[in-house]
Amino acid sequence: MRVAVVGLGAVGARAARQIASTAEVDSLVVSDPKADRVSEVVASLGAKAEPGEVGADLPEADVVVLATPGEAQLALARTLVARGTSVVCTADGMDVVRGLLDLGPEAEARGVTVAVGAGFAPGLSCVLARFASKRFDTVDEIHVARLGTGGPARARQHHDALGGEAVDWRDGGWQRRPAGSGRELVWFPDPIGGADCYRAELPDALLLVPAFPGVGRATARLAATRRDRLTARLPMGRRPHPEGGLGAIRVEVRGRGSGGIDVEILGAMDRPGVASGAVAALAAVEVGAGRALEVGAAGLAALVDPGRFLGLLADRGVKVARFG
Amino acid sequence: MTLIRRALVAIGVAGGVAAVLRLRGSGGTPPQRGGWRELDPSELR
Repeated sequence: MRVAVVGLGAVGARAARQIASTAEVDSLVVSDPKADRVSEVVASLGAKAEPGEVGADLPEADVVVLATPGEAQLALARTLVARGTSVVCTADGMDVVRGLLDLGPEAEARGVTVAVGAGFAPGLSCVLARFASKRFDTVDEIHVARLGTGGPARARQHHDALGGEAVDWRDGGWQRRPAGSGRELVWFPDPIGGADCYRAELPDALLLVPAFPGVGRATARLAATRRDRLTARLPMGRRPHPEGGLGAIRVEVRGRGSGGIDVEILGAMDRPGVASGAVAALAAVEVGAGRALEVGAAGLAALVDPGRFLGLLADRGVKVARFG
Repeated sequence: MTLIRRALVAIGVAGGVAAVLRLRGSGGTPPQRGGWRELDPSELR
């Protein structure tokens, strides 16, 4: 299998490292606008890795991981789908995710897969939701909460998300509420503990609702400090950090099974950049090996076998916990 | 003039109180029972 990674920031470089260490992958092409960054990453990855030509077209591969800043991913994904190449996208901006999901009919017609939002959250959160839903006959509600960011692009997205408009799914319709509202104390896996989370412009519900037909409610919240909320609608006062600290996600699924109405709460804790890289790499391997559960554009909840995916992810150091 | 000044002061005070309430929130309750447990690989397959 030949895989390409476009964009070598905090997530892309991690994804490239994970892909290069996968036995199923024969060769890996990495590309980035910064030539010295490409040389540095290729040198650190060993014999499988080769540099993509700077300024050339997108590399030829069985599957391409897009880890560029979010806005660029839509145009790149469109080009790749038109070429008949499967794509794994890490972007988590609302407009980009909507645009990527709109590529579904074309991807389906060409028999390729576009994995949308393949990161920490959305991404791992979608897989956790699918895994948690296995014990239910009917899923009524899915609530996702996220704490922390990866690289600078994600830090900017975190800032923008708190100043935008949250979109939740409620009783069969989309509900728009101001980001920064709806405070809720969420208990994340140890050692993170409790953190105040708020509505934010997050795309999780856009990916979860098509994957869980009949779900009544799907919401996403983002952990934020008082300063985050106060400055959310202002330009970022200083450059975002190159790498965030520990982050966590918590996914609560309510549903009905043989034992009646019940709730399943799963979570994960890691550096978001590291976990996102591992999730994107694993998604690329699953898609490239033809193990995606469907063609078209969708989130990971619809594309991967959750148990297998979480097992492989645990082998790569990203562990899942259950609250109970 | 006095009426306008008082109205402006009232709006300012109300805005300040609203901003403080929005930023501080109203507390929350941590879980009273249970805890996080790492899933065993056998539970994932």
